[in-house]
Amino acid sequence: MELFDTATVLTRVLTSGVVMSIEKSDRELPGLERLLTKQTGRAHAVLLNSRTGALHAALAGQGIGHGDTISLAGTDAETTAFLAWLGVTVAGDGPAAYDYLALDTANADRLGELAADATAPALVVDLTGLGFGPAAAVLTDDRDVWNRAERLKIFGAYDLRTMWTQEEADADLIPGVQFNYRLSPLVAACVRMALTQAARPAVSGARS
Amino acid sequence: MITDFPASPLPLPSAADIEDELAALGGSEMIPKALRRTLFPVITKEDVFNLMLAQRQTPDKVVADFAETYRQYVGAEFALPTASGTSSLHMALVGAGVQPGDEVIVPAFTFIATAQAVVAAHAIPVFVDIDPLTYCMAPEAAAAAITPRTRALMPVHVHGLPADVPALRALADKHGLALVEDASHAHSAKIGDRVAGSFGDAAGQSLMADKNFPLGGEGGIAFFSTADAYERAVAYLDRHGIDYGMSWVAAAFGSSQLKRLPYYDEIRARNARLLAESLSRTGLFTPPHVPDGHVHAYNMYRIALRPEAVGLDDLPVWAVKEAVHELLVAEGVPAREWQNTPIPCHLPFTHRDGFGNGYPFSLNPQAARDHRPEDFPVTLGMLDSTLVLCRELRSPVEWERVQRYADAFHKVANRPDAVRKLVETNEYRRPYEKAARLG
Repeated sequence: MELFDTATVLTRVLTSGVVMSIEKSDRELPGLERLLTKQTGRAHAVLLNSRTGALHAALAGQGIGHGDTISLAGTDAETTAFLAWLGVTVAGDGPAAYDYLALDTANADRLGELAADATAPALVVDLTGLGFGPAAAVLTDDRDVWNRAERLKIFGAYDLRTMWTQEEADADLIPGVQFNYRLSPLVAACVRMALTQAARPAVSGARS
Repeated sequence: MITDFPASPLPLPSAADIEDELAALGGSEMIPKALRRTLFPVITKEDVFNLMLAQRQTPDKVVADFAETYRQYVGAEFALPTASGTSSLHMALVGAGVQPGDEVIVPAFTFIATAQAVVAAHAIPVFVDIDPLTYCMAPEAAAAAITPRTRALMPVHVHGLPADVPALRALADKHGLALVEDASHAHSAKIGDRVAGSFGDAAGQSLMADKNFPLGGEGGIAFFSTADAYERAVAYLDRHGIDYGMSWVAAAFGSSQLKRLPYYDEIRARNARLLAESLSRTGLFTPPHVPDGHVHAYNMYRIALRPEAVGLDDLPVWAVKEAVHELLVAEGVPAREWQNTPIPCHLPFTHRDGFGNGYPFSLNPQAARDHRPEDFPVTLGMLDSTLVLCRELRSPVEWERVQRYADAFHKVANRPDAVRKLVETNEYRRPYEKAARLG
């Protein structure tokens, strides 16, 4: 993304006056969620402030936690260390607990194609490589995975929309540890612009 | 159209308005609906310009420059910028030497992040009651909760008032414990000349966009008093592959806002002073207590009710509070409860599932207790008898608006008959008997 484009996006969000993720009038986070679900064909998106937050959410979303064992198709040392911190062991050659892909400016236009190859219940997309700081998403078709992941990233037992009342929406979703894994609307707006531009067909004569 | 100016001006305060009928009973609202919204954070053209300039720096430099400038402002020895307040508290605990299964003493009245950060560090939060005047951790309650497995005291500078750090420091030193501050409400708060965040062995602080010092969305920062503590936290992140990194976008906004923080502090202090002077004349309402030598940051402004001052002491104080709350909101004053149940009674600490299968609570089952709200009588009494203003005193809240808030409190305090009628008519419940609220 060119500096001018980033500048335009940042100015637009700052001029809106809404830079807070829990603001009811925020439009940037839902906008990025819509774009990601549209491009990947998944029903739900959870936005998070880092790759590891998304890994945590993908597992917690499936009810996988401390003491559990999962299968994964190859992990690097850093991921293995993080899973060990969660208390999750990687073993076996069964279906992968999650699929993972990392986007950067070179492959951001292939999100849909890359997501099409993913078969696990949760798809972790690392958006950090787009250049606006740590950012990631979990995509899923499973509403329970989405629900649990949303509750992990926001304080209290329940999701962002009910955190101020904590009213029980689904007694089966037992609350546990919660983090603040929320993504900034400013970062979300920049990521959305980068993904939109990457996916746009090249126009003859346009600047690259 | 977005503009730096209100869409229409707030009416100037008028003495006659206080004598008008209550809005809940058909009178005029002290602040009309169309004029109630307050914008926060303040975003200026300088902020926009500074974000543009930040694009020309490397992301790491933008974040590092922000952290170093703010560290100097706070007067802490070392700083670690993070993605959120929770992650900063987690890092503060790790830096202070907290190990899996350790007990960390936290107040029963705080935002849930304080206790969840302890769980994030694979340790066990042990909840204690608060001081009835300051609403911060009571040192004597903390002393009573210390066991051989206690590793740290974690006071919270609640609403922006520094906790009793001298007493807690003495207690920590006596038992060889670490003192870890939760300074998430306390930007620019002070004891003497020292700023919150620099008192303890380590501290964590939220910088999310609804705090007195806002970043561009989400963010936090951990402070450490020694290089060892700082390096312990950094090594922990490396060892466990955790990404708690701060976005340069958030940091750039923070660097820009930091230049105006002293001005914001002045406006908030003026507004708090004006309101305190006015509330003190109502009889029914009492402003926050501020011990000598403490500077309150007023991230929130908790107002206590004294029903006995207006002849309502035969009614339950919580019912008086509910009625007063209803009347104030009708007048256009955005008063709220901000919590209604002690944190240990919230579901994450009654279920204690933690990271799954009860971890880390399973490491130290003796420390994990089933609590009832009545176990924390001071917290419960405070929740029963107080109301809170949040953004309503922060810059750019203007003098006219604060004066109108003050007048609304007078208007309600002048009508104990209306309060009594509401209490007798409505079926109010004690705050903690309703769904637990965080905000």
